[in-house]
Amino acid sequence: MVRGSRLDQVLVCSGLRKAFGELQAVDEVSFSIARGETYGLLGPNGAGKTTSISMVAGLLRPDAGEVTVLGRRLTPTAAAAKSAVGLVPQEVAIYPDLSARENLRFFGRLQGLDRRELDTRTDEVLALIGLTDRAGDRADTFSGGMKRRLNIGIGLLHRPELLILDEPTVGVDPQSRNAILESVEDLATDGLAVLYTTHYMEEAERLCDRIAIVDKGRIVAEGTRRELIATIGEHDLVRLEIDGDVQAAVEQLRGLSELGSVEVEDDHIVCLLAGAARRLPALLGAVAEVGAVTTGVEVREPDLEDVFLHLTGAALRD
Amino acid sequence: MSAALTILGKDLRLRLRDRSLLMFAVVVPLGLTVLFSLIFPDEEGFELTAAVVDADGGQVAGGFVDGVVPALVDDGVLTRVQVTDADEARVRVADGELDVAWIVPEGFSAAVAAGRPAELEVLVAAGRTLGGEVAVGIAEGFAAQVEQVALAVAVDAAVTGPASPERIEAIATGAETAPEAIAVAELVAGEEQRLDFTSYMAAGMASFFVFFVVGTGVLGRLEESQHNTLPRLLASPIPPAAVDLGKALGSLVVGIGSMTVLVAATMLLLGADWGPLTGVAVLVVGLVLAAMGVMALVGGFARTAEQAGNFQSIVAVVLGVLGGAFFPIPGEGVLVELATSISPHGWFLRGITDLVATGQVGAVLPAAGALLAIAVVVAVPAVWLQRRSWRW
Repeated sequence: MVRGSRLDQVLVCSGLRKAFGELQAVDEVSFSIARGETYGLLGPNGAGKTTSISMVAGLLRPDAGEVTVLGRRLTPTAAAAKSAVGLVPQEVAIYPDLSARENLRFFGRLQGLDRRELDTRTDEVLALIGLTDRAGDRADTFSGGMKRRLNIGIGLLHRPELLILDEPTVGVDPQSRNAILESVEDLATDGLAVLYTTHYMEEAERLCDRIAIVDKGRIVAEGTRRELIATIGEHDLVRLEIDGDVQAAVEQLRGLSELGSVEVEDDHIVCLLAGAARRLPALLGAVAEVGAVTTGVEVREPDLEDVFLHLTGAALRD
Repeated sequence: MSAALTILGKDLRLRLRDRSLLMFAVVVPLGLTVLFSLIFPDEEGFELTAAVVDADGGQVAGGFVDGVVPALVDDGVLTRVQVTDADEARVRVADGELDVAWIVPEGFSAAVAAGRPAELEVLVAAGRTLGGEVAVGIAEGFAAQVEQVALAVAVDAAVTGPASPERIEAIATGAETAPEAIAVAELVAGEEQRLDFTSYMAAGMASFFVFFVVGTGVLGRLEESQHNTLPRLLASPIPPAAVDLGKALGSLVVGIGSMTVLVAATMLLLGADWGPLTGVAVLVVGLVLAAMGVMALVGGFARTAEQAGNFQSIVAVVLGVLGGAFFPIPGEGVLVELATSISPHGWFLRGITDLVATGQVGAVLPAAGALLAIAVVVAVPAVWLQRRSWRW
C-alpha cells in the first residue's frame, strides 16, 4: 500500500504488529506518508490507532515490523529520526503550573533548540496558536480549546518533518475544533507530512489526502475518499425508518436482488443499492409485505461512515 | 546530561510553585517541632533531686558535703536524698530516681592538700541536660573556691613562715602553673546520650517529612504520566534514561534543600542543637538517598501516581514510627533494635545523637554508612521494578 517514490516518503511503516497478551492490537499495519501529505487513520475507539501511533513515535516497540522516518529507523535512542517527528498526544500533554511560554521553552530545549532559535520559535508558535496575549499565563487558567492549541503548538515548535496528531479534537468545542482543523490544513500546505488519527468521519474527509480505515488492529481499506467510497460500488444509500418488525423487514429486503447490503443502524434499515430512485418502490413494497409501515425515507450518496459499515458490519462510532 | 538538567530545572520550578511541597518541606515539620516544644518544653526545674556520697571524709570533702550542698538545699535548689554508697547512687541515677549525684572519692582531701590532681565525680541522669549543667556548674564553683583557698594558704605560709623570697616566688609560681586542683568529670548515667527534646523533635520531624518531599519525584515516569507528558518526553530526541535521571536529581535537590532549611530554621528559631554541620550534612545526604530509594521501591509496586502516593504514605509513617521520628521507641531488646535498624529515620536520629554527644564528625559514620546501605539495598529492586514499565 506504499505509494509514491521512496525518496518523497517522510514516514514508512512496514508490517507493524503489536499484541498485549491475547489481544492483537495492531496486525500487519503498513503505510507511508509523503511530504505535504495528510494521512488519516480512521477507526472506532479501540481499533488500534493509538497503538499504531505509539509505535510510529518510538514509544512502543513493535513485535514485528519497522518504522523509518526520512529513511532512518526509529528507535528510542535514534535522536535524528525522533527530531523529525512532532507528537501531539491525544490527552493534553502540558504542565498546568507552567505558563504557555514556559511549556514551549521546556519542550523546545529537549528538542535541542538553541537559545536564539528557542526565542524565535516560541514567539512564532505562540502567534500561530493565538496565545501571544496569554503567553505568560499559567496553562491551568486556559480553556480546553486553548490547552489543545498549546498541545499542538508544542508538537510544532521544532519544525518537525512529520507531525503526528492523535485525535486532537476530542472534547473540543466546535469553534476551537474548526481552528485546529484549519491549522492542520495550513501545515500540510506548508509541506509538512501529517499523520492524523480520528474517529470523526467528517474530519478525515476534510483533512486527509489518503485515509486508512482501521478495524480490530488491521487496515481494512486505504485510499483517497473517492477511492474508498468506490469500494462499495456505484451505490446509493437508502435509509428507511419503519414502524413494525424491523428484523422481518430486513430479511425480506435481503431477499431482493441487486442490494449491496442491508444493515440495521439505530433501529433504522440502511440499504446500499444501485439506482435507488428506480428501486425505491420495490423496497417499500418489501417492507409492506411483512406488515411494517415505512414512516421515513432518506436517499443520499454514501460517505466514509457507510464505507466503514460496509467493510466491517459495524458503525464507526461503535 | 543536558536533557536531565533541563528536566531537573522544570521539576524545581514546578516544585517551588507547588504549595503542598512548601507545606511538607518546611511549614508542617517546623510547625510541629514548635508545637511539641511548647507542649513539652526542654527547660527542667532547677530543683534537683540529688545525692552526695562522701567516700573521703576529709576536710576538703567536708567543705563540699557539709558546706556547699546544705546551702543549696536551703536555697531550694536541691532536694537531697540519702544514699549509702557510690554504687547505690549510680543505680538510682541510672534509674532516673535521682537527677544528679556527686561522688567525692576516697583520698580526695589528701590529693588536694598535696597539690595532686583530684576528681569530683558528677553523675547525671539521662535526659536531665539542664540539671546536669547545673550540677557540673556547682562542682566547678567548688573547685575554683578550693583553688583560691589553697593558693591563699600557701601564700600565707610563705609570708609568715621562715621562707626565703626565692621560695615565696617559687610557691606563687607553682600555684599559678599547677594543674587544676580538682577536675570535674561529668559522667552521664546510662549507655546512651540523648538529644534535648527540641533538637530531637526537629531531627525527627525533618526526617519524617523528607520522605514525603522526595516521594513524588522518585515516581519518575509515573508522575509524568499523571500530566500525560510522558509520551511527549519519550518522543523527544533524548536518551530515555535522562527522564529518570532528571527526576531523581530533582528529588535529591528538593530533599536536601528542605532538610537544610529545617536545620537552619530550628537552629535559629528554636535553638535546636544538631552538632557540627559537616556531620549533619553527611547524614542529611544519606537520609535523602535512603528516602529516595525506599520511596522509589514502594512506588514501583504502584500502577498510578495516586496509588503510589498512598503506598508511600503508609511506608513513610510506619518507618517514621519505628525509627522514633515522633518519640523514642520505649523499651529495649532485639525487636526494638531491629525496628530502629530497618528505619532510615532511626539511623538518622542515632547519627545526630552521636554527633551532638561527641561533637566529632566521625561519629556519624556508622549511621551514614547504614543509611547509604539502605539506599543501595532498596534502590536495586526499585530500579528493577521501574524498568519493567520502561521497556520499549
